[in-house]
Amino acid sequence: MPLNPRSVYTIAKKEFSDNARNKWIASLIAIFLILTIASSFMAGKGKVGEMDLTVGVLLSLSSMLVPIIAIMLGYATISGEAESGALSVVLTCPVRRVEVLLGKFLGLGSVICFSVLVGFGSSGLIIAATTGHAEWGGYAAFMLLTMLLGLLYLSLSICFSSLLKRRVTSLAAGGVIFFWGMIIGVIVMGLFMATGGDLDEFLSGDMSSIPDWFWFEVFLSPQDGNSAAAMLAFGTTEFLGFEVELPPWINLGTLALAQVLWTLIPLALACLWFLRRDV
Amino acid sequence: MQDSATVIETRNLTKRFKDVLAVDALSMKVRKGEIYGFLGPNGAGKSTTIKMIMGLFYPTSGQAFINGKLVDGGGVELRKDIGFLPERISFYDNLTPVQTLSFFCELRGADKSVIPSLLKDVGLEDAANRKVGTFSKGMTQLLGVAQAMIGNPSIYVLDEPMGGLDARWVKIVRDKLRTLNEQGATIVFSSHILSEVQALCHRVAIIDKGRLVVEDTIENIGMRLHLRPRLWVRSPDVNNKMPAWIREVEGVEDVTVKDDTMLITCDAALRLKVLTSMQEKGLAIQDFRTVEPSLEEAFVKLLSDKEES
Repeated sequence: MPLNPRSVYTIAKKEFSDNARNKWIASLIAIFLILTIASSFMAGKGKVGEMDLTVGVLLSLSSMLVPIIAIMLGYATISGEAESGALSVVLTCPVRRVEVLLGKFLGLGSVICFSVLVGFGSSGLIIAATTGHAEWGGYAAFMLLTMLLGLLYLSLSICFSSLLKRRVTSLAAGGVIFFWGMIIGVIVMGLFMATGGDLDEFLSGDMSSIPDWFWFEVFLSPQDGNSAAAMLAFGTTEFLGFEVELPPWINLGTLALAQVLWTLIPLALACLWFLRRDV
Repeated sequence: MQDSATVIETRNLTKRFKDVLAVDALSMKVRKGEIYGFLGPNGAGKSTTIKMIMGLFYPTSGQAFINGKLVDGGGVELRKDIGFLPERISFYDNLTPVQTLSFFCELRGADKSVIPSLLKDVGLEDAANRKVGTFSKGMTQLLGVAQAMIGNPSIYVLDEPMGGLDARWVKIVRDKLRTLNEQGATIVFSSHILSEVQALCHRVAIIDKGRLVVEDTIENIGMRLHLRPRLWVRSPDVNNKMPAWIREVEGVEDVTVKDDTMLITCDAALRLKVLTSMQEKGLAIQDFRTVEPSLEEAFVKLLSDKEES
């Protein structure tokens, strides 16, 4: 059963132009631009800071903001439209459900990618022009990782939107998805303490006693994994302000792979659930 | 009629939602070229049945067929030739009707040049560039009807197409359905308003509590239920009071009185005689006509018969 790219494109185009029309894309670009410049001033202590320092500050904001944006874009895309009745008209056209779902993912995904590219890209140009120094390799990796983070949370929110019947429950699921990435770090830290970890040593910057499994957290929390990958892209290995030695199995490649899996597996589940559900 | 002329068919179609049996082993057939009314009180299972026919709901058991092909989730080909209007229609708020229809033209692979004439057909040409989000429920419904006509399908499945419309719009939709049917389209539409169905349909299915009560022409249903044409008489002498002698008149089997009118059940051959007798008794007859049995009567009788059994 081959997919019809024409249908996927039509749905994707509609999602993208919807968000262009209601000014979401323009707002996102403005937010990203302002955020980056503000972070740059913070990093440069009143002056425009260089790219690696800027990203260091920016990550703590973008790793929360981008998932929220992605969840906002995706949570109602199936359940909300099923509830309102808009989806039933689309699905009785000669299109396959998988095409509709992929079209939505790609359309909303391009909203995120386009906003990141223009918002962060233009602020990158400003930073490079002002400081006269640029690390475009790291910065491009940061932008790609931010796009990936957006796609990841979009995929997760669409996944729950496909499973759940109502708009409001999928919004709640969006909240759970978001906080999962935030609290898993605390849980792992709790386990570390419970298994004889020493907080004082930890806070004084002595990372030698940290067991390897502790670092597995970056694969469980998409937000933390993404930030870690962005830091690695700039050649920085910092944790809570301290230089750390990461196990060899944590590198840009494994982290990016984990992010891709975090995107593809929910998307596959979304297809499965969407195919089976009553609309 | 041959099976090849069956456009839509359900066989023991059943849908259960947790502990509610919404549709219960429903079997019906829609023939090519007819307007088929799908009738039942609110909550009878009409929309659920329609959604299963359209492949939006998966049946718990049983099957639905369109043009002899089984409806399942992947039936892209089947849907090419069907225009559909769901019960609760909703479009994308920030699109105009032109943009909305353009989107659906693309999905259906249809020519966009028909959009202005589609909008004109449903009387929305003046709102062509307004956002759908500002539309009233009725206008959205009309846009839904326009959407269903994209690509000039030969089958229409419309769930309560006249629900929520005011009288003027009901007429637009009714005329449109009739025209489409005259051009050869098969139309299935559901309603809980009997007069809509009676005026339009060749055949009807009546369902209640998820089960088929009857599927036939309105005349046949009337005959089967022994509903007969009646004589309607208006007289200023009646005024909510039945003349004492009326039942004595030869041929009169039953009489009901409302305001200044009487409905008299009598043998068709005796109608003139009854009228003459009434005049001889000194009753001033202002107006009279025969009234065909209404679907409403059939409906009420069928449902109450079913309840008793």
